[in-house]
Parts: sequence; structure tokens; C-alpha cells
Amino acid sequence: MTNRGVVFDLGYVPHEGPRLATGSVMWAIVREGVRRVFAIRRHFRKKILPWLLVIAAVLPAVVFVGLAFFLSTFAPEAETPFGSHADYFSLVGAIVLLFCGLAAPELLIPDREEGVLAVYASRPLRAWHYLVARAIALGFTVAGFLVFPNLLLYLGFAAQDRSGFAQGLIGNADDLVRILATSVVYFLGYGAPAFLVASFAKRTAPATGVYLAIMLITPGLAEGLAESGATGSRYAALLSIAEHPPALRDWIFDRFGGSTLDKAGFDPWVSLLVIGLLVAAAATLALRRYRGYL
Amino acid sequence: MTTPIIETRGLGHAYGDVVALHGVDLSVPTGKVGLVGANGAGKTTFIKIMLGILSPTVGAVEVLGTDVATHTIDVRSRVGYMPEESCLPLSQSGADFVVYAAELAGIPRKAARQRASDVLGLVGLHEERFRFLGEYSTGMRQRAMLAQAIVHDPDLVLLDEPTAGLDPEGREEMLDLISRLGDFGINVIASSHVLTDIERTCDWVVMLDGGRVLRSGPLSGLTDEGAVEVEVIGDVEPVTAFLAGRGATVETDHQRLIVEYPGGDPYDLVLEALVDSNAGVRRLGARSTTLEDIFLGESPP
Repeated sequence: MTNRGVVFDLGYVPHEGPRLATGSVMWAIVREGVRRVFAIRRHFRKKILPWLLVIAAVLPAVVFVGLAFFLSTFAPEAETPFGSHADYFSLVGAIVLLFCGLAAPELLIPDREEGVLAVYASRPLRAWHYLVARAIALGFTVAGFLVFPNLLLYLGFAAQDRSGFAQGLIGNADDLVRILATSVVYFLGYGAPAFLVASFAKRTAPATGVYLAIMLITPGLAEGLAESGATGSRYAALLSIAEHPPALRDWIFDRFGGSTLDKAGFDPWVSLLVIGLLVAAAATLALRRYRGYL
Repeated sequence: MTTPIIETRGLGHAYGDVVALHGVDLSVPTGKVGLVGANGAGKTTFIKIMLGILSPTVGAVEVLGTDVATHTIDVRSRVGYMPEESCLPLSQSGADFVVYAAELAGIPRKAARQRASDVLGLVGLHEERFRFLGEYSTGMRQRAMLAQAIVHDPDLVLLDEPTAGLDPEGREEMLDLISRLGDFGINVIASSHVLTDIERTCDWVVMLDGGRVLRSGPLSGLTDEGAVEVEVIGDVEPVTAFLAGRGATVETDHQRLIVEYPGGDPYDLVLEALVDSNAGVRRLGARSTTLEDIFLGESPP
């Protein structure tokens, strides 16, 4: 027997295991997208903004839940210090708007501008697989802002329920459906324009700027035009893109919002239709844009 | 009989009024194939059609026996592609990116990690694999691009100008890697306008010029024409006259003669001519025809 080591050059070993279907490949794109948005395994400076937004969105809910459990133990008669899920959506809505403006460009633009789409083009994928997977990644990250803190809030409300925690969970179960529906509306209403801008912009920062400009300027513009008094001017209120998700939120949570859309007398289904049209336009134009790459 | 890796019938593609490929008919066997042509010859268009990124305006193309237009996904699941331009996400580490490139081809995550590690070792990036791609040198980036192109064990890898932008040392390393791909059972189509790169690495060549195929054939057949090259010391006129008088074809370039003699042994004839003319000889040997000679000889002026 010898104690001398031997190094074997195994060379190239062909892959003889399974190859997963397109669904698994899309799931890999989704996972990579979520990691990219939150800058996981990337430079520290890229982590700062998304994680600050996460903290801003989730921290109030965490504090509330802590406070709710504290009060339920030591001051059961105290009133809830927080309003409702609808109020929380109002608070988080602005953060989600900003987040969509950051996340959608990060998901789409570097792949296109750094030439990474050439790698996708040599994999069993078409353009729509890629775009759907990226949209799902955006959906997951946005859901993290909307669903997770509202679930914490739901637990907090249950903790403060005078009939007990379990009864509070059961009694407010319909809030879960409302939370989910409102989250989907926010994701589509804010995500679709962000996706559309990111599909065409060359750089991430200008894309974020353009998106925020559109979303922040159109409500004022729409209000001004709608109140001008000209014939048919009330239809200008529909241009207030950023107000459609809150309008639907108020409808879902059964309250009056007082937005430009409400003042112009539009029913919630009109906002639903506008969001649907935005999603269809974003999907069609993005697909056309990506046909030359994939 | 082995299925050709590429088969085209009347393949054409136009960008608006600009025709990039004109009725290309090809049948390319397995192995390492060089796609040569000047910039704008149609090489990249041809590669993009093979990947299904571009659709042919006319004609059809089969890759590995599969129609690209109707079975794009099937073709893409069997090929790798290293584009001419960078395809690397600069804010990601080499290892993460190559693992992801494997997962994009359907390789399960655990196997993808193993394969990425192996392939990065193979291209000489094992030590650097956890560095961000943005910190890589040009040569390292080219190797990372090659790694992503082969990490999923494709049957065919398309390399678009793989040595572009590399220094001489990096170029040598890349050519060595490409030469080894054939040993791994991977067919290669390498496009280049550097003809010597193709001569070194490939065993079949397709020459494109202005979107048309000038020539497609094995390299050995292209460069071996049985001619003799002789460099004469002294007056070349009597030597040329003697050779022509005996029925040989002679091309003259200053003191250098290229002699073709289908009627017999050209070496014996050249020696006879040198003795008869009392001329000296600096060099005598088989003519070393380069791809460049063929390309320049066949492409329209």
C-alpha cells in the first residue's frame, strides 16, 4: 500500500440525469428574479433600497401585532390603535408604487442591456415564458409587501378580538379574501405600467423616474382635466392610473374613498376594466418587444 | 448514416430591403465546423436563424435533424450559444450565473451546481468562480461565456466570434478549449472572420460572403491541392519557361513559384528545371494553401 495521493482528471462528464420541463425552468427564472430584486448574493449597495422599503412596509404591522398582543394581555378593554386593512393598504400602496418602479426595471432591463437574453435564447424557452416568469417574480415580491403585513395585521386584530383570538381569526376570515383580492389589484394596477416602461427603457434609473413621473403626475392632470367642465371631461379622470387600485380597494373593503374617479362618478368595474386594459397593453407590447430577442 | 448537424434548403433572410442570406443550401456533418466570412457576411444572422430567434424569410433549416421553425423549443434544448457580444450579468458571481444557466436548460438544481463547478474548472475559472462577473478580465469573461454555453451538456454549441477582443494568450487558450469540445462529444459551429482560428480548430468549413455560400467542405480537401511551392535564387524566367514547356501550370510571385503538374511528379519536374536553368533553391515543398488564399480567390472582387 502506498501513501502517495493520485489526482484523476475526470475531464468532461456528460449529463445523464433528468431534464426538467418548461414549468421548472420558469420557476428557476422566478426564483432568480426574486433574488435579483432583493439583491440576494449581490453587491451590498444594491440591497439598501429594496430592504428599506420592506422594512417601511412591514415594520408598522410588526409593531402593531406586538402592541395588539401586549394590549390583549394587559389592557383588554383598550381600543385598537390601528384603523383597518384598507388603511394599511393606503399606507403600503405608496411603498408598493415606489417598489414597482424599482423592481420591474431591475427584473427586465439588465438582462436586455447586458445581453443575457442571448443565454435565454439558447434554452428551451420562448419570449412569453420569460415574461410570464418575470411578472410572477414581480408578483411574489409585491405580495410580500401587501399580503404579509396585512396577515400580521389580521393576527393583531384577532388578538384584540374581545371574543378571543381563535374566534377573531374565524370571525374575520372574509378579510383574508379581501386582502388577497386587493393585493392582486395593486400588483396588476401598479405592476403593469412598471413592466411596460421597463420593457422599453434602456437603463434602470430613468425607467424608475419615468414610471414614477407617470404615476404621480397623471392623478393631478386627470383631476384638472376632469374638473375643467368641458363636454366629456369627466372621462379624463380615467387617466389617473395610480388611483384605480385604491378605488377598487375602497370597493372591496366597502368604504368611500373620495378619489378623482369617485368624484367623476365612475363605478369600480370601470377601474377594473382600465386595469385589465393596462395589463393587456403591457403584455402585448412587451411580447412584441421581446420577439427579436427570444 | 449520421444526421447532419445543419441542413438548409434555399434559406434566405432579409432585414427590410437588405438581404442578409441568399438561398443557402447546406448540409454540414457532425464535428467542428467553421463559419467564416467578413463582417456582414451573414454569419450572425445564420446563427440566429439556427436558434429560432430569427425566422427565415424563405427556405427551411434543420438543426440536429429537427426543423427549427416548427420545433424551436426542441432545438433550443439541445444547443448552447456563446454570442459575440457579452451575455453576462455583471452583478452576479460566475458560479451563480453558470448554475442558473444550467437550470434554464432544465438541469435539476443539485446537478446544476455540480455541473457548473465542473465546467468552470474545465474553462479555468474554478478559483475565480465566486467573484462578480463585472470584476472579470476580458479573457475570463469569454471563458465564462463558454462555460454557460456548455454547462447543460448540449449536442451542439454555436460560438459567435469566440476569440473577439482577446489578447494573443487568451486567444490561444480559447482555441485550445474549442478544440477540446469535440473530444467531449459536443459538435461545434464557430463563426469567425479570423481564418487561421478556423484552420486550427475545425475540420469542416462553410464560407459565407455577402449572404451566399462560397464553399462548404472539409478543411483537409480545401487546403491540399497537390501543388508545389518553390522559392528560386537567381533568374526565375528560364525556370518558368522550362516548366511551362513541359506542360506544368506555373503561378509566379517574384521569386516564388507555385507549380501544378498533373502529368507527373511536380517535385522531379521542378528539380529538373532548376538543374537545367542552373538556378538555386531557397525553399521547396508542398504548397500550404491557407483558408485566406481560398477565400480571397473565391470571393467576388
